[in-house]
Amino acid sequence: MTATLSRRAFTLAGLGALAAPALIRPAFAASGNVVAATFPGSWEDAYRSILTPMVEKAGYGLTIAPSLAQDQIARLMASPGQPPYDALLVSPGQSDILIREGLIEKIDPSRLKNWDLLSPAAQNEWGPNVTIEVNGIAYNPEVVDKPSGYRALFEDKQYEYNLALIGFGSNTATMAYTEINKAYGGSYDNMQPVFDLLEEYLPKVGAIATSGSNQMTMYQQGEIAVFMASTGNVAKLRELGLPCEFAHPETGSPSVPVTIHMVKGAQNPDGVYAYMDAAISAAAQVELAEPPTAMIPTNTTVPYSEVVSQFVTPEQVANAVYPDWQAINRHRAEWTETFDRLVVL
Amino acid sequence: MIRKDTLLAWPMIAFMVLFFISPLVLLAGISLHGEDGSWGLGNFAAFLSDPFARGVLTGTLALGAKVTAWVSLAALPLVMLYWHGGKRLRGLILICTLLPMLTANVVRTFAWVVLLGRNGPISQTLLGLGLTERPISFLFSETGLVMALVQIEMPLLLLPVFSVLNRADRKTLEAAEVLGAGRWRAWFSSIFPQIIPAVLAGWVLVFASATTSYVTQSVIGGARLIYLPQFVYREVGVLFQWPMAAAISILLLASTGVIMLGLTMLARHERLQGHG
Repeated sequence: MTATLSRRAFTLAGLGALAAPALIRPAFAASGNVVAATFPGSWEDAYRSILTPMVEKAGYGLTIAPSLAQDQIARLMASPGQPPYDALLVSPGQSDILIREGLIEKIDPSRLKNWDLLSPAAQNEWGPNVTIEVNGIAYNPEVVDKPSGYRALFEDKQYEYNLALIGFGSNTATMAYTEINKAYGGSYDNMQPVFDLLEEYLPKVGAIATSGSNQMTMYQQGEIAVFMASTGNVAKLRELGLPCEFAHPETGSPSVPVTIHMVKGAQNPDGVYAYMDAAISAAAQVELAEPPTAMIPTNTTVPYSEVVSQFVTPEQVANAVYPDWQAINRHRAEWTETFDRLVVL
Repeated sequence: MIRKDTLLAWPMIAFMVLFFISPLVLLAGISLHGEDGSWGLGNFAAFLSDPFARGVLTGTLALGAKVTAWVSLAALPLVMLYWHGGKRLRGLILICTLLPMLTANVVRTFAWVVLLGRNGPISQTLLGLGLTERPISFLFSETGLVMALVQIEMPLLLLPVFSVLNRADRKTLEAAEVLGAGRWRAWFSSIFPQIIPAVLAGWVLVFASATTSYVTQSVIGGARLIYLPQFVYREVGVLFQWPMAAAISILLLASTGVIMLGLTMLARHERLQGHG
């Protein structure tokens, strides 16, 4: 039998095939799908494997969309009125911008079964804090000694050509620079001490990377041995079999809670509540506290895992340094520009 | 009146207008939007009056020129080998050219991270040969970036040239040799003119790809080598300055577009097409 296809039928079939995804997607969305932005890498993998079944059990689909915190905001701003996500995962630096721009909305805690199990500090009216990211210094113990703090990185010769830096686009780096700045006599309104320090140190820097993950790639390749990192970064490198330790700066470890926000105009608010509830549940946080994510739990019924305990104690978390993100955001654009102009070859 | 035989092209034209021309017009519109809500060329003026930004623009164009020049030099032996090779060798060269293209740019870039690092084979070879005293890294340097881009972009020059060589008339080469030209002169006077349009087309592709290769530029070049694509990303992803990002994108498009247009016009020149 011979099948014949006219040009017109071929064109129509082709156009039909092209249009099919657009026709199918709304139907899928209508069935209760939640699009949640998550940090790429181990966060993305863990949230997809641990939270998706829990959210599905609650009757909603969950699509994990990997995106860096700043990119999440950029994408939201790019499509006002048509948010690409229903839920966001960000730190206070970004939350401040999101609130100011009116891109997220306050939540109703009574919709979360696990709300009362959260530590009081994690009960954020703009969404639950799912973990606290503790930042400090990652170092290779086979190459350098444990640094006593940020100052040592710039003053002890053993760290020369081994230290990687990144710009003010990174939360971890921004927090480290503000702490270094304080140590050298600066303030949020006067970042000059840190820029003077960087200018002098540049010839001895190991690398200036473009992002936190770029730094981790450099570390894997043996290009650098020290960088500003979170405990999660160190857990990930250790899981890859690399020698990596975490050092708390003598001035205290800059820390940030990580929060899930409800996007204003989210297509499926009920699904977002189910996703939030899953993320703060004891069942999820017990698993997330294990490598490679090694997240510090915010659910008070979840004990610190063995790996988390190697990095931090509840006392250290209680004494952590919480930067003033409103002050940081006031200057961040100007600091970013100054840093770029300073380091460019 | 629309010709009937062009009807099949209309879906594609509509697709291009909808998904390429319209966003471009939108981009141009956004680039004219000032921070205070006014409209005008303020973003362009701000960018072009800033020496740092101008340096980034010229640096990006210079990177494209360097990569294009090195790709041309590195491709020449392969082109000669392809021309003189038999069917099997040609097939092998073609596979070796196409194979890297089957992997994503990201994969090729990260392969170069391994190669260029201080523990990578290039550094170890130099150390083994006694050419350096200690391991050296080519990462985060323009040398390393150009090396990586040359390999990544080379197929874009080789493939159009190979395509022309497959159809090139060998008799012209024989005629040149019969008329007394040496081997090199015969090749450059008979075969080379035939491949010039393909070379120019390849240059257009290599230049455009090298200047806009955000992933390779940022991963291999690091934060100290800033090119326009990173500049655009910074404006959007860190500073949230969409109008400025749009203006820079338009400048990137215009500056690379002018060079590409020049090369395309050169490729269409009648003397280069053998009609002069």
